[in-house]
Amino acid sequence: MAARLRGRPAHAPGPTYLSYTPNGKKLITVGVNGALRVFQHGSDNEPAIIDVLTDGHTAVASTNDFIVVGAEDGSVTKYSLLTNSMEEILVRCSLPVRDVSLSKDGEWVAVASDELEVKVVNTRDMTRIMHLRDQSRPVKHVSFDVSGSTLAVSCTDGIVYMYSLSSEQPQLIKRVDGLIKTLETDVEASAKVAWHPDGRAFAAPTATRARSDWQRQKAFSGGHRADISAAAWSPNGALLATAGVDKSLCIWETRSQRLLKSYDDVQNAILAIDWHPTDNVCSYTNNNGELFIREDFVPGEHAKHLRIALQPAPMNNDPLSEISGNARKQVGNGDKPNGVRRSAEDQYLDDLLGPDAMSEDEMDFIEDDDGAGYAEETNHVGKRTAVANGGRPAKRHAPFATWNPQVHEAFQPGSTPWRGDRRYLCLNMTGFVWTVNQDTHHTVTVEFHDRQEHRDFHFTDPYKYDKASLNEKGTLFSCRPSSQTQQRAVLYYRPHETWTTRTDWRTQLPAGEEVTSMSLSESCIVATTSKGYVRIYSLFGLPLKVYRQKSMPAVTCASWRDYVITVGNGSVGGDGTTRMLYTIDNIRRDELCQSEDVVALGEDTELRSVFFSDKGDPCIYDTEGVLLILLHWRTPGQAKWVPLLDTKTMDRLASGRKDETYWPVAVANNKFHCIILKGSDVYPHFPRPLLVDFDFKIPVSSFPAGAADDEDRDAAQQKNLEEQYVRASLQHSLASDLVDNTNATSAQKAEVPVMEREVDKALLQLLAAECREGEERGMKALEIAALMRDRTGKMLEAAGKIAARFQRDILGEKITQLAERRLVGLVDEEDM
Amino acid sequence: MALPLPPGLTPSEVGFLCEMEHVTVIPRQTLDGLELLGGPTGALKPPFPTPLPLWLALLLKKQRRANITPPPWLSVDALTQILDFETDERTAELFSPSPNLPPATTTAPLEGDPYLAHDSLELSAPFLKDAATARAQADALPYHWLEIGHLLITHAPDDFEDLDAVRKLLRDLREVRMSKLRKGFEVLDAGGGVKMNGVGGMEIAEVRGFVGGVVDGLRKLNRSREESRKERETEERENGFGSSSYRDDEDEDML
Repeated sequence: MAARLRGRPAHAPGPTYLSYTPNGKKLITVGVNGALRVFQHGSDNEPAIIDVLTDGHTAVASTNDFIVVGAEDGSVTKYSLLTNSMEEILVRCSLPVRDVSLSKDGEWVAVASDELEVKVVNTRDMTRIMHLRDQSRPVKHVSFDVSGSTLAVSCTDGIVYMYSLSSEQPQLIKRVDGLIKTLETDVEASAKVAWHPDGRAFAAPTATRARSDWQRQKAFSGGHRADISAAAWSPNGALLATAGVDKSLCIWETRSQRLLKSYDDVQNAILAIDWHPTDNVCSYTNNNGELFIREDFVPGEHAKHLRIALQPAPMNNDPLSEISGNARKQVGNGDKPNGVRRSAEDQYLDDLLGPDAMSEDEMDFIEDDDGAGYAEETNHVGKRTAVANGGRPAKRHAPFATWNPQVHEAFQPGSTPWRGDRRYLCLNMTGFVWTVNQDTHHTVTVEFHDRQEHRDFHFTDPYKYDKASLNEKGTLFSCRPSSQTQQRAVLYYRPHETWTTRTDWRTQLPAGEEVTSMSLSESCIVATTSKGYVRIYSLFGLPLKVYRQKSMPAVTCASWRDYVITVGNGSVGGDGTTRMLYTIDNIRRDELCQSEDVVALGEDTELRSVFFSDKGDPCIYDTEGVLLILLHWRTPGQAKWVPLLDTKTMDRLASGRKDETYWPVAVANNKFHCIILKGSDVYPHFPRPLLVDFDFKIPVSSFPAGAADDEDRDAAQQKNLEEQYVRASLQHSLASDLVDNTNATSAQKAEVPVMEREVDKALLQLLAAECREGEERGMKALEIAALMRDRTGKMLEAAGKIAARFQRDILGEKITQLAERRLVGLVDEEDM
Repeated sequence: MALPLPPGLTPSEVGFLCEMEHVTVIPRQTLDGLELLGGPTGALKPPFPTPLPLWLALLLKKQRRANITPPPWLSVDALTQILDFETDERTAELFSPSPNLPPATTTAPLEGDPYLAHDSLELSAPFLKDAATARAQADALPYHWLEIGHLLITHAPDDFEDLDAVRKLLRDLREVRMSKLRKGFEVLDAGGGVKMNGVGGMEIAEVRGFVGGVVDGLRKLNRSREESRKERETEERENGFGSSSYRDDEDEDML
């Protein structure tokens, strides 16, 4: 991770601040020089630059459409992100601006300057200004809560003023004294209040307080040795990132106030931190004009914290949308050493209320009471300030996420998301399709592995195709409907070879319908749509069938010859996520092979890809790195998922030095073909990486391959043979399934006896190993002999020979008996 | 009539021999299997990687019909690791070990080392399989490392991820190992020896002329002394002082 860390010189050396737009697409930085930079998320391109008249910028806040920037010359200016240009100067102060904060709806911006009053300006109508004049000294920070109805003003006199803005006339509802340190307006340390995304708590440099009664709730302590310079809750509130002027950077778990990780590679004091609203990315700027975009900010083992839904007050995640205004919170001063200890009352309360009570449950309770929707948790301070605040105006907002089942997103197997201006639309064993975003249009390139058979082609794509599917016969594209051009979703098929002049065709989907995934096989085209339909076309564009999927919304689909597998979201499981269900359909015979069966995925694992092997068996690959194949799927109700390979147990990872994952491409030639992804990459990128293949290894046992001594090696060998047996049996049943259920070719038919022999060979070797061990293992040896598939008796004969070679006479006799019984037709099924 | 060439293999001959090694090829077009003198090759079917003899792979590469996957030991990571081993103080005396021998193919059901059995045919370098394919061991240099590395870098430069780094590392490795070999020359004597475990074919070919010459020259210089010693020994033996010089004899026989 550290290797990926690179500072991006964003501005001239000096204090620099940043803000993510609520939709996470852009990141804006401001610094001392007269330019703003707009970074596109996930792109390494040079950021867009907005040249401005002001310099010495001290604060930035953003919505999806515009940003508000404060500068030392006292101006607060609004810039449009759509045109990357200045719109208007919202307000002008006589003294330098220190902080700006936008309410979540982007309606109001609060401006803190060295003047005594805080101005709250309407962003659309700059003549509408509210003045907050209760503080006695200049204000260092301002921070809107999630609802936008409460503004926390961190004053240099060490008091946090809470204003309610819900009425026309702003009202001071609370003075929180003793929470923050007394700081000058221009020091690096911060006293900014960071509202928890659920709105019931906030963190301040010295403490977190429950908002309802303004008492300090929990302290995040022990991580910093100096004043805190910035802090931010993760979008869901489960994590808190803080930075100190001692160049430390810490991640805390909200629920337990535990320090999860401390980064020590920070070079300069961090002045502003912001989490990306959705990804595991956190960015920060320092006082040297640099921006750091930290991917995989939360270490892998804790990354799950980021994925959970918005958590109740103290610590849960909240939706990204909430962060726009107040997600980025700066923690002010460093924590005070004494701030760490919890008071006896706190503990007593904890005991009464249970582990999370203070922070979460209590807050819920409180919130109901006051309706103001703000319970702050104070993180670091040791004292509680118990001041009942006067009437809280404020309609309460409902900051908690309502329970929402998590639905699996639709995806197109073999495609990758945009990275920079490129993405793969399809990457498989035939070739790959990639597209380049040229703003007004895309350019699509199709390349083949086999350059003799097909010729690569390239075209300009005004439709901006976002999905593609490629096989030996042709390429299928689809694009989204566009509201601007009134264009509908289109399927476009382009065959590679034709004997008439031109057979490529386009077909439009009905208005409002969008392709969520699609696939191309040798005989048909399948598309699942946002309306829940499965649409099947012939290769020449003739619609063959339309039916509604039983489990919706659709996740993905794949096809092989006449078989179509569609995966959709089914009922909701215990963990709040839907179970994925699949259906396999033979469209020519109009038969359901499997109907609404479960895609067997473990807890917390996601489907990464669905595809058919080269022999036509459905395979899935999950985020845990396990490749599974569907066995007996041609008989309804008989299907089961069998693991073929657990990439985490592969020998190449045994040393623990390699940090890599695999991106599935295909199962072919009895091998798993994939692309190796280094580090934390999730998708392959350009230049096109090489395909790598791995042999199957069914996770029968985990035995280290490089065992040192002989005994271990023997045991490893034994395990190896066992795995070989299980794998050969699996392949045998796959092959015999194929032959039994289809008009198999002679080659396929010949494969069944070959696989049978493989099974028996593995058994013979196991038998030899047992014989070598000694006479006392005879029973097991006989069991192994009884498992032989061969009905001609030759294998049992060979088994008898092995027994004789090791002079296991009794075993030999029993094997001979077994062979005789089989020969005369006394089938030993009941024996087994 | 004697050939004008010095005894042993010349570097170009070693280079020729190494072209029999198999490398992994990613074909760019289909080709049926070929029945070659060295054995049949697998059918090429893009994009499945297939092992092919190096000479054929280079031929296909030149015609842009295939890409060659460099063996794992020819990656920057692996070469750096090997170079670290070579330059580490603790292992300064040693050459990095050659790849592990494959497990014995001859099954010896009873006790005894299969390598010593009379009917066993166990291969060792340079006849090991998969020394330069994608399945090769990543942390060891095979016998033909220098030749294969050179050929791949020259003829398939676009198949390397970081060509310059690989080239530089190969050169470093070569120099480190040659200097080790040269250090061994200092102890060359009529009775001296240099341990050459893990040394590659090209390296042997390179030093053969010099070492052979030196040892021969020393032998010639020492001939008179040796002859006199032999005479003395014969005398001693005749006089009944039997086995005292057994070890000396053995040492001399070594060269």
